[in-house]
Amino acid sequence: MNYPVWQLAATGGGLWIILIAVFHVYISHFAVGGGLFLVFAERKAAREKSQAMLDYVRGHAKFFLLLTMVAGSITGVGIWFIIALLNPDATSILIHTFVFAWAMEWVFFLLEIVSLFLYAYTFGRMVGWKHRLLGWIYFFSAWMSLFLINGIIDFMLTPGTWPQDGNVFSGFFNPSFWPSLAFRTFLSLIIAGLFGLVTATWLKERELRDSMVRFSARWLLVPFALFVASAWWYRLALPLEVQELIFTRMPSMQPFISGMLYTTPILVFAGLLCIFHLPPFISRLLALGLLVVGQLYIGCFEFIREGGRRPFIIYDVMYSTSILTKDMDRIQDVGLLSQAKWVAHHQVTQENTHEAGREIYNLLCLSCHAIDGPMRDIKKLAAPYTPSGLDAMMSGMHVFHPSMPPFAGTALERSALAAFITERLVGRYDLPPAQLPAKEVALPDFDAENNAYLLSVWSPVGMKHVAEIDGVLSLLPPKAELRAQLLERGELPEIISEDVLVSYRIEGADAGTLSGEMESRDDYFIAENIVYNPAGSGGFDPYPVLVVTARDMEGTILATTKVVLPVSTEIGCSTCHGSSPELGQKAGLGRSTAFNILAMHDQFSGTDLTLQAQKGEMVRCRDCHADSRFQAKGNGRALNLSAAIHGFHANYLRGRGEAACNFCHPSSLTGSTRMFRDIHAAFGLECTSCHGVLEDQALGLLKKELQAGKERARALMQRLPAQAVSSVEAIEPRSPWIQQPDCLHCHVEFEPPETDTLVQAFTENGEGLYQNRTDESGRIFCATCHSSPHAVYPADNPYGEMLDVLQPMQYQDNRLPLGANENCQLCHTIAMEDEMHHPNSLRAFRNE
Amino acid sequence: MDPAALLPTPDAIPVDWGWFHVLLLLTFLVHILLMSTMFGSAFIGFISYFQKDGTANPCSESVSHTLPFIIAFTVNFGVAPLLFVQVLYGHLFYTSSILMATYWLSLVGVLVAAYALSYLLKYRYGRLGWLRLPIFMVIVSLFALIAFAFVNNIGMMQNPSTWPRYFSEPRGLLLNLQDPMQVPRYFHFVFGSVALGGLAIALYFHWQQKQGDWTGMDWVRRGCRWFSFATMANILLGLWFLFTLPQGTLSFENLHTQALVTALSVGILTAIPAIRAGLAGRVVATLWWTLATMVSMVLARDLLRQILLAPWFSPAELEVKPEFTPLYLFLAVFIVGLALITWMVPFTLRNCRGGQV
Repeated sequence: MNYPVWQLAATGGGLWIILIAVFHVYISHFAVGGGLFLVFAERKAAREKSQAMLDYVRGHAKFFLLLTMVAGSITGVGIWFIIALLNPDATSILIHTFVFAWAMEWVFFLLEIVSLFLYAYTFGRMVGWKHRLLGWIYFFSAWMSLFLINGIIDFMLTPGTWPQDGNVFSGFFNPSFWPSLAFRTFLSLIIAGLFGLVTATWLKERELRDSMVRFSARWLLVPFALFVASAWWYRLALPLEVQELIFTRMPSMQPFISGMLYTTPILVFAGLLCIFHLPPFISRLLALGLLVVGQLYIGCFEFIREGGRRPFIIYDVMYSTSILTKDMDRIQDVGLLSQAKWVAHHQVTQENTHEAGREIYNLLCLSCHAIDGPMRDIKKLAAPYTPSGLDAMMSGMHVFHPSMPPFAGTALERSALAAFITERLVGRYDLPPAQLPAKEVALPDFDAENNAYLLSVWSPVGMKHVAEIDGVLSLLPPKAELRAQLLERGELPEIISEDVLVSYRIEGADAGTLSGEMESRDDYFIAENIVYNPAGSGGFDPYPVLVVTARDMEGTILATTKVVLPVSTEIGCSTCHGSSPELGQKAGLGRSTAFNILAMHDQFSGTDLTLQAQKGEMVRCRDCHADSRFQAKGNGRALNLSAAIHGFHANYLRGRGEAACNFCHPSSLTGSTRMFRDIHAAFGLECTSCHGVLEDQALGLLKKELQAGKERARALMQRLPAQAVSSVEAIEPRSPWIQQPDCLHCHVEFEPPETDTLVQAFTENGEGLYQNRTDESGRIFCATCHSSPHAVYPADNPYGEMLDVLQPMQYQDNRLPLGANENCQLCHTIAMEDEMHHPNSLRAFRNE
Repeated sequence: MDPAALLPTPDAIPVDWGWFHVLLLLTFLVHILLMSTMFGSAFIGFISYFQKDGTANPCSESVSHTLPFIIAFTVNFGVAPLLFVQVLYGHLFYTSSILMATYWLSLVGVLVAAYALSYLLKYRYGRLGWLRLPIFMVIVSLFALIAFAFVNNIGMMQNPSTWPRYFSEPRGLLLNLQDPMQVPRYFHFVFGSVALGGLAIALYFHWQQKQGDWTGMDWVRRGCRWFSFATMANILLGLWFLFTLPQGTLSFENLHTQALVTALSVGILTAIPAIRAGLAGRVVATLWWTLATMVSMVLARDLLRQILLAPWFSPAELEVKPEFTPLYLFLAVFIVGLALITWMVPFTLRNCRGGQV
């Protein structure tokens, strides 16, 4: 914010820091341990009175001088250059806070140069101990440099009480200072041994070579136990949250932790191997190999240390985005661009979205994410997202990606950034509003005078949501359901459910592909497991019309009607999990999308679902996550499916109200399904009016799981604030699918509602669900007259105004609930005086 | 775009800015002396190839043997002023560095290459044969590049009005070429380096003679002449530099301007006897006059910086959050360090067979 940003593209993301720092750190540790190595090697030569050995030490000293002076010291200055270029804010803090530590380090650097020159160029020309005294002065100076730099480096990881007291000594002698100093000291001795091996194995004389190789190998082995102990001490000195971050919560750290763990025995065994006499060629190869291993080793260590302080550049003081932690709330409130000095756009407008997004990218992302480069390439990472998906991801990225800071800006700025990345860089867009074809349906005949039967058919759910890729992933299997009641009309109508066959068949282009018989149950008929693919016949039809016919056992048709079977594969997975070629411009779950979901699951939960799917074994979510709709009990440990899905995604979709529902469910008013199509939608109610917002939904589900002892729920709840009530404590625990909002929560006593918003109102159990409830007789389902939830009469289907009112139009030539406006004759054939079904049923329909 | 709005907010400092100012001036003086010796002696060592004694000349051989040491100390004494300039002017210096980041970072590679080549010359001088000339040429060119980059950076640092160019070139590829001061300023440093390089060569052979080695006796005189002629040219370049200052920069009612004019006058007045001593081959006298000139010019450079930055920033504005103990610790370490070096060098010479390192 304070400085201009060096706009690197492919070489952004910290690539230059890594290239310079990893190399410098290796050499600089060699510069410390190597000094002591020289002194001891020279003493060995003096004790053994070996001129050849002294000559070797002289040669090694020359090599040491060249490497540390040319490569070591200049790359050290290079680190200063690069950190100031890439993160000037943090560099400025380090410089101004520790200016005199840096200055002291400069004095020791000067001492190093003078003493090393004197030492290296006076070999054989001074009395042994006097010469070695120069070596000791060099080593002390180099170690003091390490001492000073170590304090500053570890300040960044564990600043101790400095943020509170501002005392330079609190920051310098921070909690990880001493263990880190011990760790680096022993590491530097080991590295000295590695370099010693390289020069020793090139010695021509066998006896001298063997002696110096063994001598060097001891530098690997002797400090090793102390090195391992100091590493453990270092780990324990880290705050618990940092330890958890490095060793548990950041999967990206694992390769580097493994790298250190695996290379440790290599160093030990190779060191032991060197003690034995090996052919020169083999020992040289081994020495060079070990040198590379050493570089990898220290590279892994530095990467872990750097990773451990993410998302901060100075732990809990400054984010890697150069935003001070104390400024975060203010910036989220007033915006990043308004506070940034080096931007051309100080606010986001419709005209400058991409340009402003680019500037936000420079300020917040570029320091870690290259564009088309090797370092965390944003184009690869953002490829699965649409603009709105990435926007959602960024709003919650800090919750499940512990290396990511919270987004520092307003929602509008976040949206501009998402648009820049996805539209400008990746070339991916949100789906355009769907153009829906109009469907015409011919109504079956109904003669109120002569037809003796009335058949009512409905779907018990307002929309059957399907998400399954055969052989890969089954999230929501394609099993739709229909229910029907057959009434024999008369003054006292009779419910017929015996000696009658009720069958259904699809109408239209798919005619013949879908048909079946309904099963008879007490008072009603049911067809379960209807498999229908709305994207199956080229277009997309989530409302296929079924013709349902009731026949007696002789085959005589008693009644015929039509109903839509609401089934949609429009699920928002591809918004964040990548599109699939077969989806084209449609929402849904494609094959690639499914694999992306499995990969994410593997990453976050340590599963191997991708492998399972690659083997052709379909992953069924309900195998682990209980799902009451399918009587799936899960594995007993994982959260139930609703709690897991809502609990996880709510962290990315906070504060979005109804739009959060539309991310996944087919409820968007511009989507291909537009499932919320009843009278309530016409009055402007939204999903959240009855169900509450996603955060509260998720919290209720998670609380129930927490009560059941599933601790995983706690982690998902941690950053979710309650919305409709004052606190998480006030959220009612809830079981999915059986505790839902009900009509009577608003329409108390069947009266007009006094509110259009429900707060934490749910049915007690499954029996209370609208789909299972009946009138006061206990025999007529509510849905028989009012139709499916989300499509209660009068409903307006986006594919055709008749589609969701086929039966009222057929039976009573209006769009109202069956029997509305005192049309009791429809079933009773005569006018009725008593309210048999529910209070207030005998009156004019209010919302005609 | 108002350049004033682009100025980053500086961080607080632990002691009064005067401490850092003194440390900056002192360490920069040593650095500029070493840097000039490094660049100038390499340049003369390279040019001397084209003179009558060609590849056999003792100057280039001596330069090739000492160059790595000078580079080491130049870098070391560059670190200190780099630190103190960050403390006082960091917010300006980081900004200008970022504006030319691509060139600025490449200096790391350039310096490593020059340093490595200098060791190649030192250790393989005898075996390199004709390759010495191109290697010398590359080293000198790399030094010239480094100097050019530094002059650009400091020039941009002192001129925030040029910063809005960032919005049309944000890739770190900006230079300060539009600044009329840039060219004379650069060549002022280059010629100053050549002069000091000549003086350093003269001093080296003068010292060699004192040790009884008369191999390069002619180079005392030649080194002094390099110094004198380069300094004469540099006075002209300095005047050119002075005339390129933006109009209104110097106001004689201003204390800084008065001090600047005084420092420049002292610099020129001491340079004249230095030139005369150089032409006469009196190397030690040249050295003392030159040191006086350099002190004046370092002060003049600093005063000019304060004058140029006056509309934008003064280090006196920096917030101080007092913390003196680290300063005392540094001073103690500094004194002990210098004492150790002062003991270590004679100790080595005294105990080293042959009496030299």
